[in-house]
Amino acid sequence: MSTHQSFMQRHQFLIRRLHSLTGILPIGVFLIAHLVTNSSLAWGWFALKGRGGAEGLSVSEGGVQYFAHEVTYLNTQVPHLFLIEVTLWAAIAFHSILGFYYAMGGQGNLPHYKHQDNFRYTLQRLSGYFGIAFIFYHVATLRWGWSFLVPNGTEWSHHWSASTLAAALQGSSEGWTAMGVVVSLFYFLGVSLLVFHFANGLWTAAITWGLTVSEHAQKRWGYVCAAVGVGLMLASWGALAGAMTVDYDEAQAIEASIQGSHEVPAEQLDVHTQNDGHTLQTAEADPEG
Amino acid sequence: MGAAQASIIGAEERKANRAVAVEGRSVIFKIKRCDGPGKPWRWESFKVPTEPGSNVISSLRHIAANPVTVDGKETTPVVWDSGCLEEVCGACTMVINGRVRQSCSCLIDEYAPREGDEIVLEPMSKFPVIRDLWVDRTRMFNALERVKAWVPIDGTYNLGAGPQEDHDHQQMRYALSECMTCGCCLEACPQFIKKEHEDQWESSFIGPQAISQARLFNEHGTGKRLKDERMDTLTGPGGIQDCGNAQNCVKVCPKGIPLTESIAAIGRSATIHSIKKFFTGK
Repeated sequence: MSTHQSFMQRHQFLIRRLHSLTGILPIGVFLIAHLVTNSSLAWGWFALKGRGGAEGLSVSEGGVQYFAHEVTYLNTQVPHLFLIEVTLWAAIAFHSILGFYYAMGGQGNLPHYKHQDNFRYTLQRLSGYFGIAFIFYHVATLRWGWSFLVPNGTEWSHHWSASTLAAALQGSSEGWTAMGVVVSLFYFLGVSLLVFHFANGLWTAAITWGLTVSEHAQKRWGYVCAAVGVGLMLASWGALAGAMTVDYDEAQAIEASIQGSHEVPAEQLDVHTQNDGHTLQTAEADPEG
Repeated sequence: MGAAQASIIGAEERKANRAVAVEGRSVIFKIKRCDGPGKPWRWESFKVPTEPGSNVISSLRHIAANPVTVDGKETTPVVWDSGCLEEVCGACTMVINGRVRQSCSCLIDEYAPREGDEIVLEPMSKFPVIRDLWVDRTRMFNALERVKAWVPIDGTYNLGAGPQEDHDHQQMRYALSECMTCGCCLEACPQFIKKEHEDQWESSFIGPQAISQARLFNEHGTGKRLKDERMDTLTGPGGIQDCGNAQNCVKVCPKGIPLTESIAAIGRSATIHSIKKFFTGK
């Protein structure tokens, strides 16, 4: 091979395979965990009820209770959280920048070749473009605290996870505003397209790596990916529906009780504290708490 | 893609059209024309009377004999390439009503069943135009050389009898061997980009045609001796990694070659080849 090839050209194969890999690990795995946690706003009450801890709570309040506890756990108990986050951001940046660059190199021809696979090829790229914008907005506003991009300047905090999320999506802490509708619609499109992007990416990755060779195998794996996609789609819509129906004041009261109370999380939500009796002390020792 | 707006006709519709085709009608051919490499292109339309069973090539012959447009303007005969006229050589491949296929097997009854119906002909958009509908497919043959799509038997001593092959394996390879290097898969591939000059070919996606031929010879008992060299090419710039899984290739292949299976199979070989090379290669 000639020596005038650029670094990117010489390592094109490796970089493309890393692009494929990062879409699943860590990004896809994180997406699953993230949507499971967030969708607890929709199913949290049922989980509490199973443990006998949903008494006196509405479905929405139960969701907030469960979700707020999960978020507090993730933000205070997970070791090396910052390292995990930076790894994730780096992976997303790598996947996004390369994906954008590769997608720009293709010449879509859907109007001429209207096949289902070609439609997904096209949507994979469009969802990638949209997803980059969505993830950037999502992380910048709800993680990096760029509250000037949020209607009414709501700042998300893990101590007030459900209430500030609801205010960011609904547009204000007093309920829905016109900008809230815009932000929520942006979220709906963003999460839906990204779930598609992941499910379809899972399907193409199996071809890329040579796992599914025969047409039948590709079809079978397609059903598995479709099932994953439908499941995650339901989770993402559940999370959004949950956040959109949360009452700010109600949620604040529940979150305050989680921060101030030993009894509620320790007795009713003890899944994460079985191996670690210091959970609550650590949570309280958090300087921001 | 070109500016052709004529509707793309599916297989069902083609069958229905054939049943209702009006005898003795004339149809319009709208043709994208170009006088030579680097020259500007233009549309010209021709009115052509149909005969029973007439196809695009027979209609182009009529135009060549009577090069007068529908406006009555005398023009040069339309140039096209063709060979076998039975869909096995690939030379007459062009874009018909926005979709690539062989023109020799394209029946007028299926595409334009009524008086005055229009058929749009364009040269393939992924290859340099030589003139009108005639394109230069050299890049495809260059790609076959790059992946060493042959069985190495030249040498200084007798290699003896060839290896035995079981029936199923032979059937699998037979399907791949039907490739006629026509270019349909490349024309329909959104990842295969037109490159006019030879020095750009190596760094741009090689496309499903050469990938499938590499698999054909990797699977050959003697041909597999060159597998590592083929995989070096296919994991190099413009290799297998540029596939975007749009899967148009397999849908437009006139020979029904399982191109997407070949891509996945080469993807698997590439995975193994690159891991092996990482740990044991130079």
